[in-house]
Amino acid sequence: MWKEIGDRERGILRPKSFTTRIKSNRIRTLQISNHKDIVSPHRASINSLQVDLTEGRYLLSGAADASAAVYDVQRATDYEGGGLIAKHKCLFVVDKQHEHGHKYAISSAIWYPVDTGLFITGSHDHHINVWDTNTTQVVMNFKMPGKVYRTAMSSLATTHMLIAAGTEDVQVRLCDIASGAFSHTLSGHRDGVMTVEWSTSSEWVLVTGGCDGAIRFWDIRRAGCFLVLDQSHSQLGRRPTIPEHSATNKALTSKSLSSGQNLNAKPRAQQRKLANGNGTKQSPVGRMPAKGSLRQRLHPGMLSSLDRATAHYGAVTGLKATEDGMYLLSAVTRSYVTKDSMHLLDPEAAGSDSRLRLWDVESGCNTLVNFETVRLQAGKPIQLATSQDSALVFVPCMTAVKAFDVWSGNTSQTFRGHYEYVNSCWFSSQEQELYTGGNDKQILVWSPPRLIADEGDEGPAQDRDNWSD
Amino acid sequence: MDKTSEEASSKGKKRQRDQQPTDPQTNQPHHQIFSLEDNLSFTDTLVALRMMRAQFPRIDKVSIQPFILRSQLYSSVKDRTQVDRELESLRREKVVRIFKLNTGQDDHAIMFLDDYLNQMENVVKRLEEKEGDQVFKWFRTHVIDSKLEPSIEHQELYTLLSLGGMVKDGHISLLINAGLLTRQLIDPNMYWFAIPNIGSVLKGLSQGRKEVLSFLNRRRYKEMMLASMEKKCLRFSPLDMRFHLRDLIGSGHLKTVQTSTGLLVRVSKD
Repeated sequence: MWKEIGDRERGILRPKSFTTRIKSNRIRTLQISNHKDIVSPHRASINSLQVDLTEGRYLLSGAADASAAVYDVQRATDYEGGGLIAKHKCLFVVDKQHEHGHKYAISSAIWYPVDTGLFITGSHDHHINVWDTNTTQVVMNFKMPGKVYRTAMSSLATTHMLIAAGTEDVQVRLCDIASGAFSHTLSGHRDGVMTVEWSTSSEWVLVTGGCDGAIRFWDIRRAGCFLVLDQSHSQLGRRPTIPEHSATNKALTSKSLSSGQNLNAKPRAQQRKLANGNGTKQSPVGRMPAKGSLRQRLHPGMLSSLDRATAHYGAVTGLKATEDGMYLLSAVTRSYVTKDSMHLLDPEAAGSDSRLRLWDVESGCNTLVNFETVRLQAGKPIQLATSQDSALVFVPCMTAVKAFDVWSGNTSQTFRGHYEYVNSCWFSSQEQELYTGGNDKQILVWSPPRLIADEGDEGPAQDRDNWSD
Repeated sequence: MDKTSEEASSKGKKRQRDQQPTDPQTNQPHHQIFSLEDNLSFTDTLVALRMMRAQFPRIDKVSIQPFILRSQLYSSVKDRTQVDRELESLRREKVVRIFKLNTGQDDHAIMFLDDYLNQMENVVKRLEEKEGDQVFKWFRTHVIDSKLEPSIEHQELYTLLSLGGMVKDGHISLLINAGLLTRQLIDPNMYWFAIPNIGSVLKGLSQGRKEVLSFLNRRRYKEMMLASMEKKCLRFSPLDMRFHLRDLIGSGHLKTVQTSTGLLVRVSKD
């Protein structure tokens, strides 16, 4: 360590690689924190955690008893154990007693990405509330057609302030804070949408994962989704720098490697398929006549709704894009019956197997990395986290949180500490700390160990910098 | 099949396999002539596949060509990502074919292409005597050759078969009756490719799995030495114990622990 500091001084080691090295060393020694504790006021399972993106100081948690609380993770409210353990109590909590609070469980609580003056909560009572942090009042309210599973706002957005909401309804809605209305409705999924994430490379791209197993990429500037991930399209690892075979237009259903199929061919192909009746069920989504040779041309943007490719044989419960925007991780669990009870999603699946997949966003291919997951919690969206250089992904697996190496799929660390299922985890790259929340109503902090001897003698020093408002 | 391979496998399941290929078929007339260099370089996955193919148990009642389950591969080769990728390249090179099985739990069966074609031949021979239809030939030349994924859409099947001749819907029913295709339950327009005549073996597979797991679960500590486990005979499954053990270890239901007296098989609780 000292040699590295010396190298850094002399310029042999670049500052960036110096910090990355220190950070990854710290991440490798993560364990349940011996100096920090978050006191959670929630009386039900914790569904969502997020540290604000501007300062990395305030942690927002949403729980199933309709309460949301904010904690300061950098400054403790009091100390215990002779000044060794910092206790972080919540700065405020909003719950059912609040006059405009939620009535049912909060499934998702996120900060407004620009500053911590606003936060947004989505709940199973079909409402999305926008709260003012300082006055803890609801400033805006959106009513959704179904239970809200996840909300997301783009951290890169400079021209819009849209909240993407994934609900149990098949349509994804974008709510605009500036106008108070819904600005977009994205159709294409065939079942509820459990996860929504904005792309980390473009402020216009939204990724959604549904209970039907499909992962769709939407560019909100135009109609329809431009990419549906298909698990049969795969590539071996990272993309080669020079493409070896012609990349096909992945948004079309044709699985054979034909190149340059133009969009006009699609409606005709659909026509023929339906004209050959034989008891094949009519596609419920397309606006096609049952038979006849009418050539009804669908809007090119709506062609994607006919694409029935699935990324997984199960409901997608977690999505996470890497920081550089190049790769996407998706977590899926089996679910037997879809919402309309008409289709069994994978009746051949007898167990509760789940898996994690890594997708290359640019090519839309599965990179075939095999993560050693056996069980993931079913029925609830889970929150994945990635470390900053995207080398590790933290996945809540039942009662433990496992850290997988992204490119080899090996389990690098397992964090066991919760008594019940873990729902969400958030990695703070500034402090190299992992916050996890689960059904046991606890928020646990995992941090690199701090040597007790450092702090023991002096106790918490009087901090004169704590005067900012 | 070979004595040496028997001994090699009984020593332990998780070791990397040594580069000793047992090549049951020396000539492969259906494939292009690879260069000598390509033919002699083996990947771990290919070696494991060949070895397990050689060790496939002989079943008297049904004549079935050897197939390997994906979970068995995972139990033999350490790095699963490598297995996935090598399997993908083998599939693209048309050396093997992958089928999704309906025994639940995301099972995939891997079969060498030649074995599959032989299996198809046996089944089709019996059927063609009655029907005499061309559809099986069309299926073999047009569909199997070009469609490498485990599933196919109705429309695409139609177009590919039409390359052979006039296709009627009765033809597709013939294919389904022969066991070469099955309909997907999730999507009525999609079909899975299937291995014909495999039904009884699959039943044996699921029953055998249950039997092995219940046998271990009934024991007091839910574990047993691998050596003594291998000697047991299964009542409900025509496949041997080693087949089931590999499959269960690879899918995570059982785990092996190295002890001072040898390998121990234990039910994993996770």
